[in-house]
Amino acid sequence: MDKFFYLITEGMKNVWRHKMTAFTAIISLFISLFIVGLLATAGDNTHKVLQYLRSKYKIEVFFKQDVSNEESVGLIHQLKKIKGVRTATIIEKEDAVRIFKDQFGEDIMDILGYNPLPVSAVVNLSRTSRDLIRVEPIIKKIRSIGQVEDVRYQGNLIKKIERNYSRVIDRFPYLAGIVIILAVLIIYNTVKLSVYSRKELIRSLQMIGASRMFIKLPFIIEGVFIGLISSLLVYPALLGSVKAINYIFTNFTSWSIRLSFNPVVWIWLFSLVVVITLLGSYRAASNFLK
Amino acid sequence: MIEFQNVTYAHEKGSGVNNLSLTIEDGEFSFLIGPTGSGKTTLMRLMYFDLLPDAGRVKVNGFSSKSITKRKIPIARKSIGMVFQDYKLLDDRNLFENVALPLHVLGHSAREIPERVEEALELVGLEGKDHHFSNELSGGEQQRACLARAIIKEPDILLADEPTGNLDPVASFELVRLLETIHETGTTILMASHNYNLIKGRGRPIYELKDGILRGR
Repeated sequence: MDKFFYLITEGMKNVWRHKMTAFTAIISLFISLFIVGLLATAGDNTHKVLQYLRSKYKIEVFFKQDVSNEESVGLIHQLKKIKGVRTATIIEKEDAVRIFKDQFGEDIMDILGYNPLPVSAVVNLSRTSRDLIRVEPIIKKIRSIGQVEDVRYQGNLIKKIERNYSRVIDRFPYLAGIVIILAVLIIYNTVKLSVYSRKELIRSLQMIGASRMFIKLPFIIEGVFIGLISSLLVYPALLGSVKAINYIFTNFTSWSIRLSFNPVVWIWLFSLVVVITLLGSYRAASNFLK
Repeated sequence: MIEFQNVTYAHEKGSGVNNLSLTIEDGEFSFLIGPTGSGKTTLMRLMYFDLLPDAGRVKVNGFSSKSITKRKIPIARKSIGMVFQDYKLLDDRNLFENVALPLHVLGHSAREIPERVEEALELVGLEGKDHHFSNELSGGEQQRACLARAIIKEPDILLADEPTGNLDPVASFELVRLLETIHETGTTILMASHNYNLIKGRGRPIYELKDGILRGR
């Protein structure tokens, strides 16, 4: 038990004894974990950004001239029943006159002497779906309603947003995979360099009669300890970054998006670093002792 | 007991030992003499299984080079103390930590270690210097620290490879006297040196090695 306790404390003391090596290792690990963490946080918030953009999608449905305000209530119910439609709001003839006045500064009733503006509706699409929104089938269904005269929507913009989201989602696992592999390589090489820089210590321990596990364990503890310090530093860094981005969105842009930091991302990083440093230091020390 | 039977070992760059046979009995204090490159260090490394012979057999304390496995080498070394010309002290640890290291390797209890370290340091005349780092010690002190580290585990065999190589004549003489004191406890000692004046007239067996061949006793 004393021996095991000694090896644990040796591993921790080694971090202090080799401050510069440990500092370099912590910084490299921190940078790798920070990039992985940022990427994971971005992935976690992608859908939130998409929801924000989807909330801006607007379909304007103009009914035929002879459709009265009363009749339009029934039509709105039909619109709401279409799959993918979240809300549909009536714009009565009188509302249309007011909107015209707000936009152009003139009263169309004064100009023409009658109200030529039809009853219309603003349709918002469901934004929570994780799947791609296909707007064309929705437009087709709206057009199929007999009383609909015209439908106006941002077809190209919606297509572009949905396509780009799909691209990001499709490529994200590969990108994350590459970054994780790079992080693993950086962590492994950092630990390996740390082991190799102390070949004299290893040699002395071998001469004294230390077993392979006695030599390896402090390196493993040291590696994991360095990993833990790095992951603890990454938490406030990620949280701070998200807050900084939110601050920029709120104060310097018109976007009303609030990104969030999911602690699960950090727990995931923490577990990753423990496993990698454990395996990395074990392998590096074993290679040296061959 | 240390036993060499027709042992041959050749380094890649040449030299080593050639068809060497030698027996050192338990409790013997002997010297190994020979010029630089004569094979003294190779002979010592074969004794603590840092090298395994190309031919022949080395037997130390019941461990044979023919049958020893990688896992058993640390066990064999637990009963062998080693002193090196370049000390091999760990410069990131103080004297206490350096000397205590073999006891931690052997699994001694944390309570027992300080007392044992104090005893060892007192024996080699380094009492009160336990918090000094190796760069704060003189060459002679570092070599005595190395000796303290070797004897603290009370080894059956103590191998000293040119321990006086970096020391002045007075410190060298003191070190040999210290080895003689340790020998009185029954430890088998083999000390390699190329300084004949230091070891002559002590009434100890002297093995002479030249070009990897044992010339005589």
